[in-house]
Amino acid sequence: MTDSAIEVRGLWKVYGPKAERLVDSPDADLPRAELEAKTGCVVAMRNISLDVAAGEVFVVMGLSGSGKSTLVRCLTRLIEPTAGTIRIGDSDVTGADREQLLAIRRHKVSMVFQHFGLLPHRTLIDNIAFGLEVQHVSKPERRAKAEAILDLVGLAGLGSRKPDQLSGGMQQRVGLARALATDPEILLFDEPFSALDPLIRRDMQDEIIRLRREVNKTMVFITHDLSEALRLGDRIAIMRDGQFVQVGTPEEVVGAPADEYVRNFVRDVPRSHVVAVDSVMLPPADSDYCGTVPVGTKVRDVVAEVAGSELPVRIVDANGVTVGSIDRVTVLAVIAGGDLVSAGQG
Amino acid sequence: MAVASAALSTPARMPRPGLGQRLRPFAVHAALAGIVIAGIAIGRDVPSWFDAHIQSKIDQAYHWTVINNTTHWLFTWVFSPISDTIRWSTEHVLSFLQILRWPGVLIVVGLLGHRTGGRNAAVVGVTVMSGCGFLGFWDHTMITLSLMLVSVAVALLIGIPLGIWSGLSLRAEKVMRSVLDTAQVMPLYVYILPLVVAFGIGDSTAVVATVIYAVPPAVRITSLGIRAVSETTTEVGTSFGCTGWQLLLKVRLPLARRPILLGVNQVIMMAFGIVVYASLIGTAGLGGDVLTGLQKVNVGMAFAPGLAIVFAAISLDRITTGQRDERSDVDVVPTQRQLLLRRPGVAVAAGFAVVAVVALVAKLLGLDHFPASLTIDVAKPVNQAADWVSRNFRKGVPVVGGTGSFSDFVVVNLLNPTRDVLQGVAWWLIVAVALAVGLVSGGWRLGALCAGCFVGIAALQVWDLAMDTFSQVLVAVTLSLLVAVPIGVLAARSDRVERALRPLLDVAQVMPAFVYLVPVIFLFNVGRVPGVVASVIYAIPPGIRLTTLGLRQVPFAPREAAISFGATPRQELVKVQLPLATRSMMLAVNQTIIMVLSIVVVAGLIGAGGLGLETIYGLAKKEIGRGTAAGLAIVLLAIVLDRVTQAWGNRSQLVTRSSRH
Repeated sequence: MTDSAIEVRGLWKVYGPKAERLVDSPDADLPRAELEAKTGCVVAMRNISLDVAAGEVFVVMGLSGSGKSTLVRCLTRLIEPTAGTIRIGDSDVTGADREQLLAIRRHKVSMVFQHFGLLPHRTLIDNIAFGLEVQHVSKPERRAKAEAILDLVGLAGLGSRKPDQLSGGMQQRVGLARALATDPEILLFDEPFSALDPLIRRDMQDEIIRLRREVNKTMVFITHDLSEALRLGDRIAIMRDGQFVQVGTPEEVVGAPADEYVRNFVRDVPRSHVVAVDSVMLPPADSDYCGTVPVGTKVRDVVAEVAGSELPVRIVDANGVTVGSIDRVTVLAVIAGGDLVSAGQG
Repeated sequence: MAVASAALSTPARMPRPGLGQRLRPFAVHAALAGIVIAGIAIGRDVPSWFDAHIQSKIDQAYHWTVINNTTHWLFTWVFSPISDTIRWSTEHVLSFLQILRWPGVLIVVGLLGHRTGGRNAAVVGVTVMSGCGFLGFWDHTMITLSLMLVSVAVALLIGIPLGIWSGLSLRAEKVMRSVLDTAQVMPLYVYILPLVVAFGIGDSTAVVATVIYAVPPAVRITSLGIRAVSETTTEVGTSFGCTGWQLLLKVRLPLARRPILLGVNQVIMMAFGIVVYASLIGTAGLGGDVLTGLQKVNVGMAFAPGLAIVFAAISLDRITTGQRDERSDVDVVPTQRQLLLRRPGVAVAAGFAVVAVVALVAKLLGLDHFPASLTIDVAKPVNQAADWVSRNFRKGVPVVGGTGSFSDFVVVNLLNPTRDVLQGVAWWLIVAVALAVGLVSGGWRLGALCAGCFVGIAALQVWDLAMDTFSQVLVAVTLSLLVAVPIGVLAARSDRVERALRPLLDVAQVMPAFVYLVPVIFLFNVGRVPGVVASVIYAIPPGIRLTTLGLRQVPFAPREAAISFGATPRQELVKVQLPLATRSMMLAVNQTIIMVLSIVVVAGLIGAGGLGLETIYGLAKKEIGRGTAAGLAIVLLAIVLDRVTQAWGNRSQLVTRSSRH
């Protein structure tokens, strides 16, 4: 088998009568209203295939109704997919029976929810220990584990409170802690920060980045917020009408939008924040350089160098070998955006 | 003629939205006017051949049971064991209460109150409960209480699992809802008669009747509570790998705890609401005392046990509606002792120990009965007051003219004309009107249902009695709404009024219906008017509550828009709030009607006549057929009124919904 942590092939979700008939049929390509009039069915997700590598943060981004929440719920069959196969690690999710499915949900995957989904009648500790409790872990053991996780998310000492005594940001820390407590291989995030205000949201994103360094889990992250997707994602899938429009690294998505839809989406993103120097670099220059940066440096980080000098900046790989250069014109082109980027590349 | 059509169309006169819908009844009225003339002339009475022979069939069935109730398997294997078990339970609960003695019972009340509602609830619960003792009715209260505890326990044992099931399964809910809807409008005395046949006169019948009466709210509230648990929360459980049972026990039930406790409270209140009826079938206790007083028209005699029932009801209400704010006590660091007591097992054990000690001490001190020296005789002063009131308020009060004059006014100007019209026109005309009202309100099926119910009443051969009752119901409903709606509007517009009303409404909520009968008799003597007044008083609180609720639920945005366009408060009310609150107002009308109907039979006790008297007569004289026929007629009336007003509510919902788009 592959070494992907998650492998999805040909996943469909169709709501309506005789839903399975629509899968791979020409009708499925009809516009939404027409399809509903003709068959009474709505296609929430069509023919999705994806691979998430172990340790990767895979972000699914789309507007509401694009099917991203359906996708993440199908991964553990909270919503039963109409067709397709899902493999998580070495377990076949779509073929799992009840017991196997429970085992997957209990041990392999856990989820962080948009509206936190904390149980108001339980203390924070008991909320965090919930997943362990469901697995029949003994009380002292699960409490000890929950206490440790509480520290990890920065809520030490608040364990005996009830969720309604916390702010939204703190509640979602508990949601995060609960998901971590079962020590799953995979974390699913369903728009976890969309209910938080912008400053808190940024804090929580930093928290995810930090956690990622510390615990190194595979994550599937659903969001409708592009900047969140760009900050967190190793790869981003843009979803529209139940389909992936584009899957790629942040700079691929911003630098080379697959179509008009994606282009509109990323229009306001300062490209220089996303695009790495090596993706727009010129061949090594004949002249001297005004500075040296490694591969992967964002364009905005060389602005100061090229602004202070006529000379280009040298780009080196991990071994210190010069692989190319970037000059003032290219940097300006990236900042200006649009076609100049491809002109610079050419 | 004008009187005739006006009276007939009273139900159709309720506020309704939509111009087309408003015009339709007028056309119907015009057509009806012609038929009314024919109706007075031809075929007034229900022909004697039109008889389903229900009465004689039921009588035959009853005789069969009298002959066979010791031999037939249905009795030896089903009814008798049930009835024996119930009798055994009530006897043992009673003797347990007697072993606790009065100090022990009060301690239990106090501890329960403290557990659910904190110190406040404990104090109120104990004080009010000891009121029963001060009135000199402690022992009888315990008899009633034992009956109630068994009924409540059985009702919850049946109701909560059913409620959970219907909360989890859509199909179960559908089936159960249709059963519950019927049970809701089914007055107790209708099924009391068949129960008497099955279980005989006595405690077991009373318990079974109470259980049947109290199970629906338990099911409904539990199911509602389970359903109210949001899908996002249950999804969390599923995502962490909960099995169905884990989801129920760890997520759904804990989150539905509050509504389920509310259900327990409701069941207790429902059970208290019918202790007097239960005494109709030969149970001892407070209900029987009230009944004796009522039958002798001795106000004082009925008042004291009535008050004891109210005390017991309020006390149990207080100790079962725990509203303790769980947030408040968290920031305070609990002491070691508090922490220990917070563990459920420890608290319960400590409670048991305290109760046992108190009961033991009470036994050693010989406190078997509530001390007679502490009791207060209220019968005599109440009777004196009643005499004084009737001497001074019946007639000659300036301006209002006194209760006697009011009574005369209601009889002469409201009750008699309405009854005369209903009884005076041909029975088939009433059926036709029912058909028309049903048709206009909710379409063909409702029309057919309404007409069918009235044909059924005719076939039961209780037509004139039914029309007598119907007239009282119409008058009482109209009066209730005339009082309740303006007060409700007022309360919705002024916080101060609402605050002032709330305790009154709260108390009214826990008062059993017959309690109103007692004071009403000494103001209005016996007859139809006290019945009407009692049902009006009984029906007003929910009317006010629902009106206020409906108006307050109208979102602020449209009102704000109206204000910004310069609407006066009056315009805001009439043009925005009332139209948007129609559905809730219709619910108020519906509830009012149900409340009024439920008191009709008791009103028979104080001379209101009609179907109520007939039912009680049937019970008292063992004329089961006669009583059941009258009871069935009440149910048919109830179904018509309930469904028609429900249809109004649903339609106004459609209107508001479509106007939003």
